[in-house]
Amino acid sequence: MTRALAAAAALTLAVVTTLIVQAGGDPASALRHVYLLPVVVLALAFGGLGGALSAGATLVLYASVVLPAIERSGLTPEAIEGLVTFALVAGVGALGGTLTTRARRQRARYETILAVQRALAGVTLLEAALRSVRAVLIDRLGAADVGLVVRDGEREVAAAAERVVAGSVADRVLTGGAAVFVPDTGDGSRPRRVFATPLVVAGQPIGVLAVERVGELGGEERAAVEALGAHVAVALENARLTSRARRFAEELERQVANATRHLEELDRAKSVFVAVASHELRTPLTALQGFSEILAARSLAPEEVRRMAGIMGAEAARLGRIVSDLLDLSRLERGLAPTLHRTPVAVEAALAATANLFRRGAVDTLVVDCASALPPVDADPDALERILANLVSNAVKYSPADSEVRLCARRAGAMVEIEVLDRGAGIPDEARERIFEPYYRAPDVGTVRGTGLGLAVVKALVDAHGGTIRVESAVGAGTRVTFSLPAVS
Amino acid sequence: MWALDRPWRPGTRPLLADTPTRLLVTLAGAVAAGLLLADRIPLPPGALRVVGVAAGQGALLATALAWAGCGTRSGVVAIVVLVAAAVATTLDPAGALGYLLVPLWVAWLARSGRLAALGLAGVVPGRAVLAAVLLGVFLGGHLLVSASLTLGVRLRAGRGGLVLAALAYDVGANVLAAECFFRGALFNRAQRRWSFATGLLLATAAYVVRYLLDPLLPKSVEWVVGAAFYLTLLSAGNCWLFWWSGSLVPGGVAALLFFAAYRLLGTGA
Repeated sequence: MTRALAAAAALTLAVVTTLIVQAGGDPASALRHVYLLPVVVLALAFGGLGGALSAGATLVLYASVVLPAIERSGLTPEAIEGLVTFALVAGVGALGGTLTTRARRQRARYETILAVQRALAGVTLLEAALRSVRAVLIDRLGAADVGLVVRDGEREVAAAAERVVAGSVADRVLTGGAAVFVPDTGDGSRPRRVFATPLVVAGQPIGVLAVERVGELGGEERAAVEALGAHVAVALENARLTSRARRFAEELERQVANATRHLEELDRAKSVFVAVASHELRTPLTALQGFSEILAARSLAPEEVRRMAGIMGAEAARLGRIVSDLLDLSRLERGLAPTLHRTPVAVEAALAATANLFRRGAVDTLVVDCASALPPVDADPDALERILANLVSNAVKYSPADSEVRLCARRAGAMVEIEVLDRGAGIPDEARERIFEPYYRAPDVGTVRGTGLGLAVVKALVDAHGGTIRVESAVGAGTRVTFSLPAVS
Repeated sequence: MWALDRPWRPGTRPLLADTPTRLLVTLAGAVAAGLLLADRIPLPPGALRVVGVAAGQGALLATALAWAGCGTRSGVVAIVVLVAAAVATTLDPAGALGYLLVPLWVAWLARSGRLAALGLAGVVPGRAVLAAVLLGVFLGGHLLVSASLTLGVRLRAGRGGLVLAALAYDVGANVLAAECFFRGALFNRAQRRWSFATGLLLATAAYVVRYLLDPLLPKSVEWVVGAAFYLTLLSAGNCWLFWWSGSLVPGGVAALLFFAAYRLLGTGA
């Protein structure tokens, strides 16, 4: 269509000139007014370039009529008519073309803004928004490339590059806050112009819009890009806020889901605990009740009475440990540390006492291995006893009947490390991370008795002493629990 | 994207950077010496023309080559060839064929990739060459018609040898030097530094002035006005062709066609 229009205009110019020349070459020929027609049409069709080229072509053609006339007869009224036509054609071509170009640019600007807003409709991720806007701007601005950078909190999101290089045009605009124009990047057979303008919202720069074009990027167009940048900034700020709100919502949703899952697990664990604790409390109570009834109803030999009294004492102690654990747990859940009465405690004696306690319970595979000249620890003796009892009890419970359980102690700087090592079933990885949580019991404990409180209490007691505790375990190979307490210097 | 991932330092190179000043001063000195000698002693016929070709066309070509980064030596080689061709032409019009060695030298430099800054590298767009042909034919045709109608100039008939010698001069010296300097060097630098319009104005003004100062141009008002008119259009068209295609070749084609038409007129040399 445009080619046909241009060809028709060129043909018209040629025909008009020929007709004027054939009619005697009168510069004041009425046909000269027809020159205006192709000039106006081309100015409206192609803007400034069309107006200038058509006016120029007209002048060149019409000059072959006007100039010979001036040469022949001087500045006659006819020749002046011709010169006026020169000026008229040039003025119409230039003015019509310029106005058309301006109107088109204005329309293109509005269309670009609309296209940007359409591109951002429904886009929730900032990265996707930048990609969409970039594609629109490359198309609309006739650019070789368009870059967009937006600051989102601490991070910089960029389209058209992985990141903004320090010292680059975009970086200078981001830090300086002023637009930058580079007339030529220096590579390529044609000039590659770059214009980068800050994206400003409420007086604060939030990013950069950079346009690269092969060819011209004049002052008027740069001003238009700057104005466009203001619209793009607002649109991208909205996209950024939407994106951030969505991210926050997703994060909140995830945290609520995690919290809900945790609460559900806690609730389930507590239910299990109630059942287990009832059973654990009932068992020693049943033993105490049964033996006390036997003692009350029968006359037994003194040795039998002592045996029963021993069993009753052990069950009472067990009952006491469970109650102590429950009390400690209650304090823990209220955010209180266990109450400690610290005093220097000889580690070797404490280990031996624990071992003897279990040996009396028919466990004869305990081995105590203390380093020589071990300093005492600054600890609560009762708390240390409970820590050791809990750990050894677990080691014995989860080990085969005749397997060895070792209690070791050694100096480690300002601390004393105590280790309980068994060759039992071991703890799976997923359970190892949670064994210090209250009520938690590994899923594969089978029929082994326990409340799920012991290790939680142990950790709380060790922490209260300023020590640390860690577990190393391999399924089928055994478990090593190591805790440290401060040595008395 | 360049604006994001390439470091950039504000500031631009001077417009006249890499100008072979010493060579240009030497050429100016040669012209001055030639003119002084011509006043005092009888010089061989054509001696001043040889000096003029070497100084005028050689200066333009050497400056263009130096601006493209080829150094001064390439320009000196071109000047030597121009001098040799000019001397040969004074002896016999067929000696003008020697001018054709200059474009061969420039082509050799371009082939080695050293004239990319002048737009003499890569593929020449066919559409641009076609547009250049149209421009050259239009301006040349218009020149022939208007010159014969307005000024009553007749075409050179039966003097094909002189026309061919003039064409060889245009190919190897006149058009080559002018396009290399005014388009490939001056316009290209100016448009990269400022804008197309500024580059066009600067290059066209310099181009027109260069031909108006040419001692071979008839100094009547009609010829001066006509030269200014056509050379302005030719320069503007060639600048646009260079800007559009990124190549110097289309502009050279248009200029050659225009000057071919000019050589057909009964004036010029």
